[in-house]
Amino acid sequence: MSNKYVARLAVGLYLSLIVLPLWLALDRLIWVAGFDAYSWLNSLDENFISQGVLEFTIIQATLSAILTLAIGIPIAWQLGRYSWPLQSLIRSILTMPFVMPSIVAAMGFMSIIGENGLDIRSDRSTWFTTLIIAHAWFNLALVIRFCEPVLSTLDPSMEEQMRLLPSGKTWWGRFRNLWAPILMPSIAAAACMTFVFSFTSFALVEWITLGENTLESMMADIGSSAGIKGVMVSKNELILGASIIQFSILIFSLGLMSWLQQRRQSLLPLVSENIVKTQNKKGWIIVLPAIVFAVLPLLAVLISSFRIREVDAGGSRQYWSTEAWNYAFTATNSLPSAWDALQNSIGYAIITLFIALPLGWMLALTIFDLEKRKPRLARILDISTMLPFAVSSVMIGLGVMLGMIKINPQFFYSLWFTPILAHVMITTPFVVRIMLPAIRSLDPSFDECAQILGMSKTKRFFLITIPMLKGSLIISSIFILAMSMGEFGASWVVTRNSDWTTLPVIIDSIRAVPYNNPMTVPAANAVSSVLMIIALLLFISTEKFRPKRDGGMF
Amino acid sequence: MNNKIIVFSMLIPFMMLSGCISESIEKKLEEEPEMPEEYQWEDDGELVIVTYDVTGLTDSMLSEFENQTGYEISITKLEDAGSILSHLLQYKGVQVSDLAIGLDNTYLQTAIDNGVLWEHFANFSNISESALTPYSGPLAVPFDQGYMCLNYDTEIVDGENMSVPTSLWDLTEDDWNGKVAIPSPETSSPGRAFMTATVDYFANDEDTNTEWTDWWTAMAENDAIITTGWSEAYETHYTGGYGEYTEGYVGDAHVVVSYCHSPGVEAWYNGNWTKSAALDLPRAAFHQVEYAAAIEGGNLDAASAFIEYLLSEEVNVNMPTENFMYSVLEDTDLPEDGGYRYHSTIPVQPAEVTAAQIAANMENWLEDWNTAMVAA
Amino acid sequence: MFKCENLAKSYDNILFENFNLVLEPGEIVAITGPSGCGKTTLLRCICGLENLDMGKIVLEKKDITAIPAEERGIGLIFQKPVLYPHLNVEKNLKLASKRGDISKALSEVNLTGFEKRNVSNLSGGEGQRVALARALLAEPSVLLLDEPFSSLDEDLSLRLVSDVRKLLKARNCPAILVTHNKTIAGKFADKILTLN
Repeated sequence: MSNKYVARLAVGLYLSLIVLPLWLALDRLIWVAGFDAYSWLNSLDENFISQGVLEFTIIQATLSAILTLAIGIPIAWQLGRYSWPLQSLIRSILTMPFVMPSIVAAMGFMSIIGENGLDIRSDRSTWFTTLIIAHAWFNLALVIRFCEPVLSTLDPSMEEQMRLLPSGKTWWGRFRNLWAPILMPSIAAAACMTFVFSFTSFALVEWITLGENTLESMMADIGSSAGIKGVMVSKNELILGASIIQFSILIFSLGLMSWLQQRRQSLLPLVSENIVKTQNKKGWIIVLPAIVFAVLPLLAVLISSFRIREVDAGGSRQYWSTEAWNYAFTATNSLPSAWDALQNSIGYAIITLFIALPLGWMLALTIFDLEKRKPRLARILDISTMLPFAVSSVMIGLGVMLGMIKINPQFFYSLWFTPILAHVMITTPFVVRIMLPAIRSLDPSFDECAQILGMSKTKRFFLITIPMLKGSLIISSIFILAMSMGEFGASWVVTRNSDWTTLPVIIDSIRAVPYNNPMTVPAANAVSSVLMIIALLLFISTEKFRPKRDGGMF
Repeated sequence: MNNKIIVFSMLIPFMMLSGCISESIEKKLEEEPEMPEEYQWEDDGELVIVTYDVTGLTDSMLSEFENQTGYEISITKLEDAGSILSHLLQYKGVQVSDLAIGLDNTYLQTAIDNGVLWEHFANFSNISESALTPYSGPLAVPFDQGYMCLNYDTEIVDGENMSVPTSLWDLTEDDWNGKVAIPSPETSSPGRAFMTATVDYFANDEDTNTEWTDWWTAMAENDAIITTGWSEAYETHYTGGYGEYTEGYVGDAHVVVSYCHSPGVEAWYNGNWTKSAALDLPRAAFHQVEYAAAIEGGNLDAASAFIEYLLSEEVNVNMPTENFMYSVLEDTDLPEDGGYRYHSTIPVQPAEVTAAQIAANMENWLEDWNTAMVAA
Repeated sequence: MFKCENLAKSYDNILFENFNLVLEPGEIVAITGPSGCGKTTLLRCICGLENLDMGKIVLEKKDITAIPAEERGIGLIFQKPVLYPHLNVEKNLKLASKRGDISKALSEVNLTGFEKRNVSNLSGGEGQRVALARALLAEPSVLLLDEPFSSLDEDLSLRLVSDVRKLLKARNCPAILVTHNKTIAGKFADKILTLN
């Protein structure tokens, strides 16, 4: 296949699978709500359901970012400046929360504050704090991954020189004049990402802070009645208003993020490889609690899946049992079996892989190809493949619902793979982001030399290109599988009301069964444990293929 | 590659964003005959039921139907009655299900007005007059019913430390600040039912200076707990029910919106004991009837067969114990055992709102409710 | 016989035009000129990695100007040896010929026993020898060499120059070397051309 066809196919698929549904959904909402951006934005103030939601969203995201930094920077410092036994294991454990599906995190924190844990859930005032801590747990890895490489590789002579200068005599002076300026882009980038993830938080908000909404969870709540002409018009306005705000904030943050990343990269050459680091016994005071913090919610999920709480006349009692696992993995009328969900999840993840990986790769190739000949066009394509990052997962779910299924529900409902569309939309941009730098760094003479040796295009592709991009391809694949298996927001919107239940969605459904059923909580935790173990396995396999000192986004 | 083509194909969609595509798709749907003179359907041996979590549809009951008739049932489970309506409207003209179970009288008329239901041809008799009051036409059949009203915790609202409210206005007093849990009418059908009752209640009270919306504003100012759904209000917030034995219980509300027979269900579970009671204020209870209805374009044979089955004596009399609702059949009542009937209340004077009134006004009421709540 | 007739190529400026060259069987030609004068591009055009603006390349009376690089049968040794890091020495050589005698090819470039070596552990000279062995295994009708000796120190490069010359002569394989180093050009080639 010549480059021209690859480019056309990639762009065509991208437009029809990703851009078109979103556009059709937007078109539909506007058709119902009328083209009046002012009234869309205004509706956020005028509706009971959306009142205070924007404020809540911003405040919790800001506080989450602050707390994440407060916890993360000391940990990154300890890990970066000193040597630790089993350093990479410690780093992996601390990164683990970030790869957990948000619904698993929600179940974990619910278990910690629940009656088998701290038993503070009955106090409403603890919910907000719990949410912030959960967000910090989730995003801790960002701070560590961003800051640690800078700290651990900075040439020691920089600090030694600073000690001898008047402005670096004190620890504070060195911090202000050396560490802060060097770390600042990394810290800001981590804060920026944490803000974005907390801003679009859905599963955690839905479960932990009852009665409060982020823009994301509000859109999910009212989404099912959107897009019907003449019915609940105000909800369409709300979704449009919320989407505009969310999209703008995400675009701004992503722009800021990429600017910070560039500044970060320009500071990284200060590094030196040969640094002898000392151990720091006192550091365990920080590192040990951090490890416990990272592991605790996951342990809580697993343990409480075996804890049954039975309610009968006059009170409740608790006992250990595997009943909840049986319950979760047996289908009933109102709930499919977790087996079905597991099969769907695995099936969707694999098919998503087969679509998103080639699509993302072809897009990356197209961008790379255009960079040489038409840099402006390459830049446009580059940016537009990043646009889905600014479309949150609930928005993508609504896109599939209103922009795709709605067009021909009988057709789309009969297709088992309809939800895959949402997964493809979410994962493809990540593939582009992972593959593009890999393709860029691949020396073209490898391909040219193979050409000279008489290898055909197909042969070169299989014998040279694929093996040389193997690492990035594997990381992309694992990423797709992990994101697809853990995807919650879009699936919640698209699949909740269908036979297409996936693991994250069924956890939510099981937990939503009235609590007079003693299995509700442990069964949700049982399925969460399965999802958690899958995420862990996928995570362990990425750690194996991760380049040694990437310090990047993931 | 021609770069202009790419740039244009990316830009054009955004320039044309004005709803025109949706309009043309919708027009095409509308051009098709709206109501065929004769229904056309194919009996494919399958029955797709769209419903919310009706626990009444037990496995044994469904497999019994499958054995009797040979139909294969599949169930699309939605969140609540409102989602069923949205679902039917979303797929108007291109429906994916055959039978809707669980639309209630606050939603039914809208579904009928939109032409998404078909006349069934099920045979049954013996439906009580009260169940047929809101709607008795051929497009839907009642299968269970109940009254929605306020429940209160008799241990706290004991008449000494806290007096039992005699008017809805009492709940706007300081004593009740933050202690009343009401599911939102925007997202929950019990909430919608209760709101409808308040419309009638305040239209018929002695006070002519205030409207029903003023009460809601006052409630919002008095920190009433507005929840997304019934279970959050009842389980998480209400002190008088089973919620206190469950995970995540907060217990800050002593009054909650639920069924007038919810205390009966509590007693039935708890060995004839409950501290919850229904508050029987005139016109503050809403008679809720839930319907089974055949969906346009669906398998009408199968839908009718299931309606017939659902209304049969042996299935419908079990509504109180299987589905925790009253049967719609003549001469049936709640069981006596476990204090089920004793602790259940049938309101002396429920709100009087017809299905037609509801259909005509619901959108406006919801808007007014929204304005009232935002005003607080 | 290998012939280049009136070759021309320009980007923003003219790199070369009216370039003519005739190679008799087994003849080795060196092209010298200052760096940046288009020597590398000339080789890339001859082997087909880049397209000519004008001119004709004829091999054994057949016009091969339009034939893609992989089918042209012209070998090229890059300035820095291009060895595939995911393959060991033996497998790198096998890319050129599945049936060729790998150990013989390695012994010819004085790398006996290097079959299983990891290419990332080879020194610059060893790497260039592997690249040479691989290029010869493909049995090219003409071998192009793009300053392959420039990154090596002088002793090493002089030794390699005479080794390579011997190998080429033994096979009667015509070759074109581009270099800016006149000494090496003199030692390696039968004839020296200068490109301006």
